[in-house]
Amino acid sequence: MAAKPCLKIKGRGKGPKGSSSSTTSSSSSKNELVKEWTNWSLKKAKVATQYGFIPLIIIIGMKSDPKPHLFQLLSPV
Amino acid sequence: MADLLPPLGTAQTDGKTKVDEKVDYSNLPCPVPYEELHREAIMSLKADNFEGLRFDFSKGLNQKFSLSHSVMMGPTEVPSQSPDTTIKIPTAHYEFGANYFDPKLMLIGRLMTDGRLNARVKADLTDRLVLKANGQLTNEPHMSHAMFNFDYMGSDYRAQLQLGNSALIGATYIQSVTPRLSLGGEVFWAGVPRKSGIGYAARYDTDKMVATAQVASTGTIAMNYVQKISDKVSLATDFAYNYLSRDVVASVGYDYILRQSRVRGKIDSNGVASALLEERLSMGLNFLLSAELDHKKKDYKFGFGLTVG
Repeated sequence: MAAKPCLKIKGRGKGPKGSSSSTTSSSSSKNELVKEWTNWSLKKAKVATQYGFIPLIIIIGMKSDPKPHLFQLLSPV
Repeated sequence: MADLLPPLGTAQTDGKTKVDEKVDYSNLPCPVPYEELHREAIMSLKADNFEGLRFDFSKGLNQKFSLSHSVMMGPTEVPSQSPDTTIKIPTAHYEFGANYFDPKLMLIGRLMTDGRLNARVKADLTDRLVLKANGQLTNEPHMSHAMFNFDYMGSDYRAQLQLGNSALIGATYIQSVTPRLSLGGEVFWAGVPRKSGIGYAARYDTDKMVATAQVASTGTIAMNYVQKISDKVSLATDFAYNYLSRDVVASVGYDYILRQSRVRGKIDSNGVASALLEERLSMGLNFLLSAELDHKKKDYKFGFGLTVG
């Protein structure tokens, strides 16, 4: 999955930056990680909603009482 | 002693009727939601005029569940560089929709042929807290929007928290001050164009008229007044002024609800006259005619449509 962020490369890249700025760099890298993961999950949520919202409504509707038939769902009349 | 008692009795009954006519401030009605403050004016003045053909077919499978098919053919406007010319591109699209209505949950979804989804969810989490979500999702990147609202309804106030994508946070609050007057305010903070704003609103309504006013730090001042002449006729007028961009628009409109039809029209200070007619041809069959004449820009739009079900 190309969209998954590469964690290992990032960790090594920020390591040898210097001991004085190590705490700030680790907290900023944590922020970067959180941002990357939230962006990835939001993108997946958007795709899931786009494909799945209408089927979700149809499933909930077909289960409600009185249960309609599949024929009623597909026929144009 | 017997002479004193009857006068005291009458004084007490007089005092009691006076108290009933006075306002009971601990028992005020719940105000209208903040975004629906000017709903009567919007019904007359912002009717949805369209251009081209519109055909809506809605089929109910159940009390709660229904499907809808919608075809729209006509020119759609494209934003152009110069404000004088309007560029219109003829388009045709088909939209499939599914609706589920429950006392506690409402789901509405509309999917177009180009992949755009328009989704609305309204869920009653408790009997005072309502979650509303609204989204327009497209295939193009960075063109999707979503907004979540949490509404809390108190005994004589309403509070709302809004969260939107691209870091938009807003909150509104409206309170009934007297049985006829309600006052409210809103704040919002938008992350992408780093802007924040604050606004105030007031609404005064009686059986015959509704008057509202809104002021916001984004520069808009809007006032409108609706007079209900009878059950069938109401007239509305609106004034909007933006003190930052110095735009002024005033409009006057009417709304006639007749037995078989409903006509809404308005005329504007920008030289726009528009009208919308909805006629009920028979049970479940509605015919729509829309016209919008923009004399300043010389842009004339006419539309007709049919709604079944």
